[in-house]
Amino acid sequence: MAGRGKLIAVIGDEDTVTGFLLGGIGELNKNRHPNFLVVEKDTTITEIEDTFRQFLSRDDVGIILINQYIAEMVRHALDAHQRSIPAVLEIPSKEHPYDAAKDSILRRARGMFTAEDLR
Amino acid sequence: MAARDVRTELDSLILQLLADLEELEAKRAALNGRVEEGWLSLAQARYAMGVKSVGPLQYASRMEPQVCVCASEAPDGLQNLRVVRAGAQIPEEVGPREAALRRRKGPTKTPEPESTTAPQDPLNWFGILVPHSLRQAQASFRDGLQLAGDIATLQIRISWGQRICFPNFLQ
Repeated sequence: MAGRGKLIAVIGDEDTVTGFLLGGIGELNKNRHPNFLVVEKDTTITEIEDTFRQFLSRDDVGIILINQYIAEMVRHALDAHQRSIPAVLEIPSKEHPYDAAKDSILRRARGMFTAEDLR
Repeated sequence: MAARDVRTELDSLILQLLADLEELEAKRAALNGRVEEGWLSLAQARYAMGVKSVGPLQYASRMEPQVCVCASEAPDGLQNLRVVRAGAQIPEEVGPREAALRRRKGPTKTPEPESTTAPQDPLNWFGILVPHSLRQAQASFRDGLQLAGDIATLQIRISWGQRICFPNFLQ
């Protein structure tokens, strides 16, 4: 992968994954795991979490795009991720608009300015 | 005097953090807008081609990424993420770190063999003649990917400011 840059992974519903694959981020060949996961009604939380952790552990993934309602299912794994790369971006889905109050990054930023910090 | 310097630096860091948060909010709104445009275009394409004609059933069995993320180090030491076309030549940055001038004619390099197959345009998965709405969807999501790179860089800067700077200066 030297000199090729890092991949963009996506975990989302059908439309989100199809859209970003249309954008050209998809990688799939017989030797490697795909860098995307389509979450359907019968996709288990375990499967989502395993895929998310897999993407986090890959050193060739630079950004992970994840629908926010799916991120809520694996929020504990997101909050535990402290490294800068891969960067995790929460995006809305058709049925669930983006809510800044749930975003891990913005929650941490809001939590900075607490009474204890300003004492 | 030292305390005043620390306060001044802390003030500038807080201002930078607030500016980054504001920029992040604007880019997020833009990304969400692009993604929503993309969904609408996908729905229009499905209406034209059939409900089952735009979805995972059409994904190729082999895919090569057309875009990737390049990480570079900014002057402040933080990672800068840029979304670029895969295989695009990134201009070499000649900055203060370069001790010697670049030679006009560098040493002759043996040409690397080009890859035999270019990455296939994902539009081809859906047929030869695709509706305009599908091309529009592709354009929307490509714009979204560029914004994703900028948002990722901002998030890295904001997280760094939270984790490193403030505990040190507040001590």
